[in-house]
Amino acid sequence: MTSIVRPAMGRRLARRAGAYAALAAMVPKTLFVYNWSVWAQLIQNVVSLVVYVYFWRAVYAGTPTIAGIDLQTTLTYILMARIFRPLANIDLIFEFGWRLRDGGFAMLLVRPVDLQLGYYVQGLANLGVALVRQLPVVLLATLVFGLRWPSDPLVWAVFILSALLGRSLFFCVDWILGTLTFYTTETWGLRELFQGLTNFLTGGLVPLDLMPGWLRLMALATPFAQAVYVPVALLSGLAPLADAPRLLVGQLLWLLGLAGVSRLFFGRAIRHVTVQGG
Amino acid sequence: MPKAQHTIEKHHASERSTLQMLRYLRLYRYFLEQQFKIAVEYRSNFIIGAVGALFVNGASLLTLGVVMGQIPSLNGWTLEEVLLIYGLVLLSRSLSQMFTENLWQVGGYVQEGSFDRFLVRPINPLFQLLAERLDSAGVGNFVIGLVLVLSAGRALDIFSPFNVVYLTAAVLSGGTIFFALNLITSASAFWIIDSTAVSAAVFENFRFAHYPLSIYPRAINWMLTWVIPYGFASYYPASFLLGRDIGPMAWLSPLVAGVLVVLGYRLWGVGLRRYAGTG
Repeated sequence: MTSIVRPAMGRRLARRAGAYAALAAMVPKTLFVYNWSVWAQLIQNVVSLVVYVYFWRAVYAGTPTIAGIDLQTTLTYILMARIFRPLANIDLIFEFGWRLRDGGFAMLLVRPVDLQLGYYVQGLANLGVALVRQLPVVLLATLVFGLRWPSDPLVWAVFILSALLGRSLFFCVDWILGTLTFYTTETWGLRELFQGLTNFLTGGLVPLDLMPGWLRLMALATPFAQAVYVPVALLSGLAPLADAPRLLVGQLLWLLGLAGVSRLFFGRAIRHVTVQGG
Repeated sequence: MPKAQHTIEKHHASERSTLQMLRYLRLYRYFLEQQFKIAVEYRSNFIIGAVGALFVNGASLLTLGVVMGQIPSLNGWTLEEVLLIYGLVLLSRSLSQMFTENLWQVGGYVQEGSFDRFLVRPINPLFQLLAERLDSAGVGNFVIGLVLVLSAGRALDIFSPFNVVYLTAAVLSGGTIFFALNLITSASAFWIIDSTAVSAAVFENFRFAHYPLSIYPRAINWMLTWVIPYGFASYYPASFLLGRDIGPMAWLSPLVAGVLVVLGYRLWGVGLRRYAGTG
């Protein structure tokens, strides 16, 4: 009996996995399509990186440490935070908005794959593409601004785990933000709004350790900090390795909570959808 | 007799150009009315767009406040002084963003062949392109920039009648510099079709102008003064207003803006004559 069921189940599972793999495989194809937004993004990243380096150097010109942190540590953190910025990419506001307008949403809903899981897998592939595209920024930071990468493999292992958790939980945030377009039908301003929040609260502009106590606590109480600050703090040495277990468990809890909330949110919001042009 | 004839012709010409200008002003009002209707119809979009600008700048400003609260000065500039620089660049940028943001679309229009529609109407194509959009984020940036300049200026006590005139001229020049650089880079679409990356490559350098140029190395300083002169939109006017000795740089903003805009319009004209359509 079991011997008959198992291969059938295995086939079904394999087919399932194959469907998601196919979704993810579509993404790298976009790697080589350098449309203007990619160039614009890259240029913005490069300019911002240079601005921040000189800004922070000027900040530290008159003082050896701020809040007990020296220039080298801050710069290492800031450069890495710029490089791993795609961990907190807001993708779904435009995606949902666009699907709503062109009527594609109806098609997505009838596909035999879980919509959220499909987007999640695609999001991971997107992250890979975005990180490869950051290569010029990595080279600039390393060769011109002397960014030193950690050599301890354990640090890297912890970072990768933390970055994956961070991206996963931020995907849920992104998902919730995306569903807001079902109510507003507006995308650009909404994305700008959350981009501002994200830039600040992820610790992408300033290490949270330099913020006044109340602001740091507030930022740490949001999922944004979990997405970029936590992994980059671990990689840059701002957070000691001994803190890793506590930080990782924290991220995991955030992920579980947000995954539940995001599904609830979508279930509610989807009733508001008016598919246009479909 | 020929002299009189000449005078009459000249008179007619100036009358024609006055009429032409009135016609364009009337048309612009008409375009603005349409924009206003859109803004009212999609009210939440307009508000979210403006508030979005507030959040993006809020993040940078909060960072600046947080960091500068812990140090005496940034390269000899106090928080208020840096805020004045930041506010000036924001104001200048917002002017071009509000009224000329549609330049970013030129590459796309040329690519998909829809640029032709600007050529079949009896209005200046550039005028028509620009008048078609009033950007809500620009409105947001304008308000934030104005608040920053007013509050920083008050704290620094720089508002003498002369300085207010100087400030207005500086912001108008700054806005023109933003517009002119964008015009030059957008005109490249007539040669390379998709100009947006070129526009971005030049435009994004405005981020340097958020802070005193003195924090950057000489090469970047030079670039922001003579190549992509965003320095004239913020750093140089702010330096003058704060009584720092920067020599003739204090007076060059209108000249730089004028030269750039003439250059940009010429290039646009050359490109337009070259344009053959792609669709």
